[in-house]
Amino acid sequence: MKTLILLLGSVFPAIAQPPVAPTTNAPVGSPNGDNVENYNISQSFELGYRFATLGGDQDMYRATINYTDGVRLLSSSLFVQSRDGHGTWFDQIVLNTQGLGGDPYESANLRIEKNRWYRYEMLWRENAFFDPALAVAFGEHLENTTRTLQDHDLTLFPQSRIKFFLGYSRNVDTGPQLSTVQLFDSTGNTYPVFANVHDQQNEYRLGGEAMFLGFRLNVLHAWVDFKEDTPTGIISTPELGNTTGLGTLTSFTRAEPYHSTSPYWRVALFRDNKLWAVNGRFTYVDAVGGYVQNELASGGTEFGNLVTQQVLAFGNARRPALATNLNVSFFPASKITITNQTTYNDSRTVGDAVYSQYLMGQPAMPILPFTFLGIRDFANSTNLEYRVRKWWAVHAGYQYSDRRIAVIDNQENFGAPAPAPPANQPFTQVNTLNVGTLGFRLRPWKPLSILADAEIGRNSQPYTPISDRNYQVLRARADYHQKSFRVGLNARTDYNTDSITLTSFASRSRNYGADFSWTPSQRFSIDASYSKLHLDTLGGIFFFINQAPVNATSLYVSNIHAANVGARFALSKRLDFYAGYTHTQDLGDGRSNPFGTTPATSPLAVFAAAQTFPLRFLSPQARLSVQLGRQVRWNVGYQYYGYAEQFSSLQDFRGNTGYSSLLWSF
Amino acid sequence: MKLVRAAALIIAAWQAAFAADYVGSAVCRACHPDVWATFYKNPHFKSVASAKEPPENTGCESCHGPGKAHVDAHGGKATIIAFSELSPEKALDACLRCHSETLARANIRRSTHTQEDVVCINCHSIHHSPAPKYLLAKTQPELCYGCHTSARALFSMPFKHRVNEGVVKCTDCHNPHGAFDPTWRMASRPRMVDQREANDEPCLGCHADKAGPFVFEHASLRVEGCETCHQPHGSMNPRMLKRPTVMTLCLECHNGKGTFGGFGPTFKSGIANPGSDHNLANPIYQNCTTCHVRIHGSNTSDFFLR
Repeated sequence: MKTLILLLGSVFPAIAQPPVAPTTNAPVGSPNGDNVENYNISQSFELGYRFATLGGDQDMYRATINYTDGVRLLSSSLFVQSRDGHGTWFDQIVLNTQGLGGDPYESANLRIEKNRWYRYEMLWRENAFFDPALAVAFGEHLENTTRTLQDHDLTLFPQSRIKFFLGYSRNVDTGPQLSTVQLFDSTGNTYPVFANVHDQQNEYRLGGEAMFLGFRLNVLHAWVDFKEDTPTGIISTPELGNTTGLGTLTSFTRAEPYHSTSPYWRVALFRDNKLWAVNGRFTYVDAVGGYVQNELASGGTEFGNLVTQQVLAFGNARRPALATNLNVSFFPASKITITNQTTYNDSRTVGDAVYSQYLMGQPAMPILPFTFLGIRDFANSTNLEYRVRKWWAVHAGYQYSDRRIAVIDNQENFGAPAPAPPANQPFTQVNTLNVGTLGFRLRPWKPLSILADAEIGRNSQPYTPISDRNYQVLRARADYHQKSFRVGLNARTDYNTDSITLTSFASRSRNYGADFSWTPSQRFSIDASYSKLHLDTLGGIFFFINQAPVNATSLYVSNIHAANVGARFALSKRLDFYAGYTHTQDLGDGRSNPFGTTPATSPLAVFAAAQTFPLRFLSPQARLSVQLGRQVRWNVGYQYYGYAEQFSSLQDFRGNTGYSSLLWSF
Repeated sequence: MKLVRAAALIIAAWQAAFAADYVGSAVCRACHPDVWATFYKNPHFKSVASAKEPPENTGCESCHGPGKAHVDAHGGKATIIAFSELSPEKALDACLRCHSETLARANIRRSTHTQEDVVCINCHSIHHSPAPKYLLAKTQPELCYGCHTSARALFSMPFKHRVNEGVVKCTDCHNPHGAFDPTWRMASRPRMVDQREANDEPCLGCHADKAGPFVFEHASLRVEGCETCHQPHGSMNPRMLKRPTVMTLCLECHNGKGTFGGFGPTFKSGIANPGSDHNLANPIYQNCTTCHVRIHGSNTSDFFLR
């Protein structure tokens, strides 16, 4: 298999093809549509049956692929266009759908437009999400939810100097979920609980744009309302993980409604000129959230004592955030572009809460936490581009960023001594970042372009140990493009060293890729690509095993090879055939067992097993499309999905999917 | 005054001569019937339908320039603005003459695409677009994959945003015409990611439940962004995490060392490590989110327990 991959990689560097259905690249019917009075109309429907059979781990299949059996409107399209641009109510209707009728990924988008008067755009999407989360919380954080998104935008007078915008977006996430709760103290047991997820967000937008003195002023005001009303209850009482624990949970309910509203303003002013361009933006959002939580649990502690615990909490969180940008570009000569960008961001999250806990009906001391997280960023960057000759250019840039983070995490326990440091005295941290960039591009020959650039950054105090500190990025790309032939090569390395006393973090990422496409005739085309994605990281970690501190190193190595190839053959006027293959494989660090050289009985074995995660994910596909008549095509396709981990077969699966459909165009 | 009058006459004569170089789209149709036959479906046809635009902003000549010399010479690329012959910056200038007047394209001149000579005609096909909208040269994501080979590889991984499946598009998160500096990661990288209008990362446009505000924010998320833990394109690991297990992902930051950011009394003395009551030999402590379930932010627990 490896030889085959290498062969494919060298001959046809690779491509990721979409799922086998709906049928693409095999249209039918009149390409120009039909004229009906003053309109031209073309439409098509692809209706078919999708099948899926499965061997192996169904949960992993649902988490990664999720196609199921059933009749589907695999795709449809409608295009109505006025022929003179003077339709009575509209000049254009464009409607496209995909996967309707039960596919896990469904979408529809619609545009209706009347020249000079209005333009309406709608996008509706539904995404079924399933996650067994086997690597998280013993598989108990299962999710089987559906997210539905819709966006509506209406522009009035889209071609005039004064326009108006109206918009509405809705985002709903619903479905069952398994979560966990730990009771009744910090060393207590953990139990699975059931949650019926119900999140809903509505956004309303109102704005306008006007032109004056050559500038465009764009103003938008919007209101975002979010509601989370997810009730949680017990479904069973087994504890997780700690098999020797004696704790029990006999009843559990939790209600935690959370509502937030985030009205925001955006004001933008921009102009593009022959000698200069300016673009300023100001946005301000004042997000406010309020919540109540009531949790009641009863059971027994690990020492066998009966316990009933109630938690009552309520409070508010507020986050005003300001972001401003001013970009100015100068074009002092035809060969020179100078751009300066100034950015100022300020975000402050303030939270307060009242937390009361009752054990066996007796109140524990209420706690009044108050938190503050302030982030203020200032950044200024300047970039110079000089087109030395028609065939080569250089660019260089410098960015300075200054970030101040302030934190207050204060908690008052009634009757307890005041915590240190004194209340409302923030801890602050200042980071400065200096970044330099340098690059060039060459076009020594019209079909050939070569570009390369480098970026070096130095951060005085990264916020997390894995953040960029001393980093360097090198990129290069070569592209050769003739009319029907294209080949590209690219490389990118990204190194970061984040070392301080006692710990260190270093990451090295190296990506190499090649892509190729060739369409010698209308009867044959091929696309292919190959990527090698390497990542190795090294970080200092600290933890306790049986109360003994352990200083260790966290290693992670990933060596991913991804190859794709797809070829289309028009076997005859009526027969179209497509075949494709996708192969993604993480070879890991080359070890032959999950623990490497660490003994499987060592307490550190679990860390060794997390250092690399070799697996293979492949998907060949084929599709045949036969034109039955002037307006009808019959399509049949098959796609195989294979998932296999190197060290365990528990989550492996083999999915056979396919479809048969009729594509009708009229 | 005479000088002014003379200058006005010269300008008027020059304008008349210049206007006379425009022949109108109907003349173009004679030799380019295939283009004209479907041109009414092209968004640029609005300039013809309007009948109010000046010649330099109407139909074929609004992009290809005055056609008289081209007609007189019976064709030829040298006598007209042929985009296939234009340098990238000239092609960009030609399109921006009208299309700079949109906020979404206000950063185009400083975008990475422009800097790398990827201009309008690399992604848009004005006369032969197969895409239903925006005259794209190919439909997404194939259009983007043409150059972004590594993104293609990432979206072929087991866990990914459903871009190949068509329910998520590259432009949901990226603005190919250039974006403002990000409001996270010190306004440095990445450079083509479009923020939501309320300044957040684009991730929160769909994952609204992670947006907050929360009484207890997971500070690294707010300060450094979702990519601290997740790979937004695709990953070999569940939930598109950067590591195959949650434990190492958390411990690489929560090592309690150095002068990194933290919260509360541990601030500037390292991000808190798991205490001695977390016996990492016990499987229950090896899956941090079993207890710390509200890891994106919590209203009741500064340890994200509920």
